[in-house]
Amino acid sequence: MLEYRAYEEIERYLNGQMAAEEKAGFEALLRTDATLAAQVQEHRQLLLTLQHMGERQQLRQQLKGIHARMERDQASAPPAAWKVFWNRHRQTVAVAASVSLFSVFGALWSVQQLKKPVQQHTAQYVELRREVERLKKAQTAIINGINDATKPAPQPAAFSGTGFAISANGYVVTSSHVVEGADSIMIENKTGLKYKVSEIYRDEIHDLSILKVAEEDFQGFGKLPYTFKGTESDLGERVFTLGYPREDIVFGEGSLSSASGFEGDTTAYQISIPLNPGNSGGPLLDDRGNLIGVISGKQAGQEGAAFAIKSAYLLQLIDELALSGQVEPLVLPKNNALFSQNRPQQLKKLQDYVFVVKVYN
Amino acid sequence: MKKSLYETDEAVIEGIRRSDENALAHLYKLYFPMISHFILSNSGTDDEAKDIYQEGVIVFYEKIKGDSLELTCQIKTYLYSVCRRLWLKRLAEKGRYATKLDESESYLPVEEDTQQHEEQERQFGLMGEALAQLGEPCRSLIEDYYIRMQNMQEITDKFGYTNTDTAKNQKYKCLQRLKKIFFATYKPEV
Repeated sequence: MLEYRAYEEIERYLNGQMAAEEKAGFEALLRTDATLAAQVQEHRQLLLTLQHMGERQQLRQQLKGIHARMERDQASAPPAAWKVFWNRHRQTVAVAASVSLFSVFGALWSVQQLKKPVQQHTAQYVELRREVERLKKAQTAIINGINDATKPAPQPAAFSGTGFAISANGYVVTSSHVVEGADSIMIENKTGLKYKVSEIYRDEIHDLSILKVAEEDFQGFGKLPYTFKGTESDLGERVFTLGYPREDIVFGEGSLSSASGFEGDTTAYQISIPLNPGNSGGPLLDDRGNLIGVISGKQAGQEGAAFAIKSAYLLQLIDELALSGQVEPLVLPKNNALFSQNRPQQLKKLQDYVFVVKVYN
Repeated sequence: MKKSLYETDEAVIEGIRRSDENALAHLYKLYFPMISHFILSNSGTDDEAKDIYQEGVIVFYEKIKGDSLELTCQIKTYLYSVCRRLWLKRLAEKGRYATKLDESESYLPVEEDTQQHEEQERQFGLMGEALAQLGEPCRSLIEDYYIRMQNMQEITDKFGYTNTDTAKNQKYKCLQRLKKIFFATYKPEV
């Protein structure tokens, strides 16, 4: 029973339930009584251990609860297969994606780089149709205004080029790009003869257009002095052309410098004749007065590199036109009146059949 | 919403100090994958991962509660270090020495903390055994009074004693026996 009392005391002491006086007394007793002190020590440890154990058990229970809930949450949303895959291979996929992106854009970029010089070339090809200057338009308007204020000013041509007759019954050929987008077309030769014409056939690939005189009282051009050459001409052959790069007819002479045209185009010749806008569609003839090509353009920034479509393609076009059967028969000239004549004589005969093509739109 | 409440380590620690179960749950969920990954990639199983992680969290939690932790690093690093230490110990007990660990994080020396924890575990283990040896109803009586902190009156009612004095007497006898059993096996390591 004494032990029991002692326990009560010890417990009250440890729990801090003793009054100050009692506590002082108990502590004094502890200092003298070693057995009691040891007992108190043991008791304290026992109680602390029990208490901590209880706390830890509770905490462990709590964590188990948390874990169970966490697993339940995860189970309710099981990770999809692709998600697992993604988590595992995320890095690899990222690297692969960036490599492929890089190579695609790198390839695109380098292709672009390779293409660049080619693009520059294309940009350098200049079609030789002539834009009639603004200045002149304004001048005409003023003059007309003085003469007759009520009459609307006649519209000057927007573009001009050159064309030449291919048959006596009113067929004329020029470059397609000259008559592109035209509302109406007029042709006029050195002597001042004017005809209204219309485009009846077009070959955009070879840049050729066939025009026909559209006037009822048209009598015909007369006999053409030149013939068409169906075979290829030789390198170095002397060639010449007539054209309208300005208001008056201009003669140009040079030689056939290459059997292929711009960027190796085998449908054209390269010729060394100085040409200017307005020369497009002009005839290219050799020394003996054979028509061997149609002037079409030149390479910008490079002197003496002009191009002409080979006459073989013109003949091909004429054949196609005849086959279509919608037009009057086209009779090509058979006799060459220019053969074995000197150049001025040739030009005199020729110039009546070379026209300035005026395009209105 | 809940997440943002415990975004920082400080907020989590503050929550634990307040005995906020949400803070603990948040912490638990946050780092379980890391430890689980570590254990699994060092020849452990899912259950072992769960075990070790819970021990680690207990160490951390008790440190916070006891105000004896000066956290000089992130909670993440501390937990990793503790769990790493515990796992090494566990591996050694299984007779397998990890020559090279597959580490994913840097770690701190936490020998002291884990040692203290293990000492306590040993102590609690012994206490558990002692309680088991005590048998019923002594065991429940002791647990109710000293662990669940029920008062004498409740215990008297629950166990059907005639009055609190009988209960007290009974408790005294039980405690006496427990003390004998416990201290027979337990020698505090100094």
